[in-house]
Amino acid sequence: MFKKKVLGNEKPRGSVVTVKNRLIERVNKRRGDITIPIVVAIISAFGAVAVYSAGSYTAKKNYSDEFFFLRKHILGVLLGLASMFFACLFDYRRTKKAGVPLVIVSAVLLSLVFVPGIGVESYGAKRWIGFGSFSFQPSEIAKFAFVFFTAGYFAKYPERVNTFKGILPVVAVGGAICLLVIAEPNMSVTMLIGGVMLGMLFFAGVPLRRIALFVVPLILAVPVLIVAEPYRLKRLSAFLDPWASPKGEGYQLIQSLYSLGSGGFFGVGLFNSRQKYLFLPFAESDFILSVIGEELGFVGVTAFLFLSLFLISRGILVAARAKDLYGSLLASGITLVYALQVIINALVVTGSIPPTGIPLPLVSSGNTSVIVFSSAFGVLYNISKNSI
Amino acid sequence: MEYSFTVFRRRICAGIIILSALFAVVAVRLFVVQIVDGKELRLKAVDQWTRELPLLAPRGRILDRNGVVLVDNESAYAVFVRPKTVEDVQKTAVLLSEEFNLDCEKLLKKIQSNVSEYTVKRHISDEQYERVKSFGLKGVYFSEDPVRFYPYGDFLTQTLGFVSYDNAGQSGIEKQYDEILKGKDGEMLYETDIVGVEIDGTGASYLPSVAGLDVTLTIDYEIQQIVEQTMQIAYLTHSPKRAECIVLDPSSGEILAMASKPSYDLNDIPRKNVALLNSLSRNGLIADNYEPGSTFKILTAAATLEEYFNGNPRAFSPNYVFNSSRYRTVLGRNIKCWRSHADGKHSNQTIKEALNNSCNPCFVDMALALGKETFYSYIEKVNYGSKTGVDFVGEASGMLIPEKAVTDGDLARIGFGQTIAVTPVQLASATASVINGGKYYTPHLLKEVSSQKGVRVQTVAPEVKRVTFSEKTSKLMASYLEGVVSEGSGKNAYIEGYKVGGKTGTAQKYENGVIAQGKYVSSFVGFFPSDNPKYLALVIVDEPEGQHYGSVVAAPYAKTIFEGIIGVKKINKT
Repeated sequence: MFKKKVLGNEKPRGSVVTVKNRLIERVNKRRGDITIPIVVAIISAFGAVAVYSAGSYTAKKNYSDEFFFLRKHILGVLLGLASMFFACLFDYRRTKKAGVPLVIVSAVLLSLVFVPGIGVESYGAKRWIGFGSFSFQPSEIAKFAFVFFTAGYFAKYPERVNTFKGILPVVAVGGAICLLVIAEPNMSVTMLIGGVMLGMLFFAGVPLRRIALFVVPLILAVPVLIVAEPYRLKRLSAFLDPWASPKGEGYQLIQSLYSLGSGGFFGVGLFNSRQKYLFLPFAESDFILSVIGEELGFVGVTAFLFLSLFLISRGILVAARAKDLYGSLLASGITLVYALQVIINALVVTGSIPPTGIPLPLVSSGNTSVIVFSSAFGVLYNISKNSI
Repeated sequence: MEYSFTVFRRRICAGIIILSALFAVVAVRLFVVQIVDGKELRLKAVDQWTRELPLLAPRGRILDRNGVVLVDNESAYAVFVRPKTVEDVQKTAVLLSEEFNLDCEKLLKKIQSNVSEYTVKRHISDEQYERVKSFGLKGVYFSEDPVRFYPYGDFLTQTLGFVSYDNAGQSGIEKQYDEILKGKDGEMLYETDIVGVEIDGTGASYLPSVAGLDVTLTIDYEIQQIVEQTMQIAYLTHSPKRAECIVLDPSSGEILAMASKPSYDLNDIPRKNVALLNSLSRNGLIADNYEPGSTFKILTAAATLEEYFNGNPRAFSPNYVFNSSRYRTVLGRNIKCWRSHADGKHSNQTIKEALNNSCNPCFVDMALALGKETFYSYIEKVNYGSKTGVDFVGEASGMLIPEKAVTDGDLARIGFGQTIAVTPVQLASATASVINGGKYYTPHLLKEVSSQKGVRVQTVAPEVKRVTFSEKTSKLMASYLEGVVSEGSGKNAYIEGYKVGGKTGTAQKYENGVIAQGKYVSSFVGFFPSDNPKYLALVIVDEPEGQHYGSVVAAPYAKTIFEGIIGVKKINKT
């Protein structure tokens, strides 16, 4: 009934022809965008070095093994590369119907976080599911589940973008995931999923005024969420003036700024960070960008950001060239998750937004994140392989 | 509206622009933090990366004029723990508490607490240091913590003064010249992690300390020793409140000795009894006022002679014979001599004889004849009523009735040393200026400042504050005072062949404005040789029991001191 207007399958009209022709000229149909897995591998390798450097002292102190984090991280990178390889070969079109089951699985896993004995609490938040020494963050899966769901939904019912009722399921699923994540609580991932939702609605072609209908309440919700949890208010005030409580709430941010500031233009040199000597908390995970900034300087961080931006631009290009709407939306969703997470992480470490715990994708220590992102980029590659 | 490729393309473009803009924001923020604020942040960060171990600057020594070390430093250590770096908490607590006799439980609690550093014990000896070091406890550190050492114990106690636990000057010379003595502490900087654990392979950086400077005093160790012993004998013999003596060189104002008994051993300061410590460590020779009595007559006589030689018709001549009556009536009140004039001993006296006999009425005449304006000008010339400027903390300025308020009755009494209070150092310096040719030298204790390696930094030259008397008056006064010792009330200080001059003094003490029965301050100020005075001593026995005349209680000790000086300095008879 709604199987109409799948991009690239029908004869395009007017000006689109020239665009399409230009794209055909430039891209070899058969070969995918090999730069995507290459850049992912490069960033992962860079991440491993950064994790080793940032975490070696903490690892030595806490686990008597300076390679503790590195070992763990390399395992994650290898698993990530393997699953990326697999995803590269797996035809993304076969995932069209995977969205709904993925969302259900995510919801179950996100709920399990609250089950005593399975959920693992750390620093006042229940974000992990653990079995023995193995633990992972369901929210890492949930954000991509949402992307698969939304892409599948709009690909199936493209004209539904035009009605409020039509986009309601997407908003409902996104909202439900957000609710489960905020309950952990995990403000930053909630913000991320909210941002991805808006972005995907935007890319799917939902009229702007209708998007605004959701944006406005979301913006209004922010102060409510902040007031609801006292620690958020504290963090917010610490963000506004970290020096008011350098030993308390402002500590983390100040230490991050010390790292970046110590780096200056060219950095203090790889492995030479001083802040990693227990001064900077979460140096090997959420604040790894600070250590990179300290060791490699403004030049190093900027280079890394360019590499990320390159990956993002490739992802968007894949979205633009995809053969079908599903591929376009899936590619733009995956790219959005990566892009927004990099941006949020960088804004946190530079003290531009209140500190929230969110890893730098493909770089920070934390294997769920590494594996999931690697796989997602594998999917992205597969879309590029099947592009116009 | 149907979703078209055009819309999609436009939105993709918008997406790229929005994301790039966000990346630009990130880049700008990075630039601000890393480059614009970078320097400031780096400075703050550096602060937390290092821990300092203070490198104590060795405190300067205090020496006598001939280089005898009076105050030295003894090596000692402080032992402290950095709880976060302690490996075996239990063992550390047990070993340290046993070694230093401390409460093990308490120490354990401290080691388990959150403090970054805890000082276990200070001023531990070299042996203890070696022993504790051999335990090889992790997280236990030592720092130099030298102790001030006084080789002669109870010696020049009130003058040298003492230091705090941290070697900061608290009294006496230690306080007066603290800035010179203390030097500047250095630092040893260690690169550490957040809890103070030193980072491997980062070596320490040194900020060397600057050693304090040595202070050489005008004090003469040999003379000081004589004075210490003599005053101790005086103290034991007369059980006074205090027996004290100042010896100075009248030709320079250099203080050669100062002793005050009772006293205490500087190596064992009675810190627990604050009141006792305060009274024992007070240098009364400089900080306390007393009524001088007859020793003050030296000034009255000298002023009279000086005025006479200057042609003042009201001043008495050396040949003037004073009325022999025991009484003078001033403003309707009788002022009498200390001695009955019935035996005729105080009759028909000249100034010289009045000094010999210390006859009060003659000095009443002299003071009144000069008048308050003239007499006060001499009082002020010899610095009574104002600080001498001696380089010592807490100098008192004496008590002098303001010239405007002084009555003839007061003036008459001031003439023989009553209704006026002076400090011993004032009297010694004033007397010196009468007999040394007429120059008032500022009394002083500092002779030289030098580095601990002996390089001279500063030398103090004698300072003539003002000219007080003519050579002629001075010579005459010196010979008169020599007479007091050879034939007058100062006989007990006479030493054959050494031209000792001097004057006794006995003053009644006042308590709450009335004369305190049986309480006297007995004193004697003497000097020698009278024709070229090199040594001047003022001996004061405050509230002696039994005998109270200065001639009996104080003069003999001045003689002992002078004999001692003659002995150690090998001075020949003239």
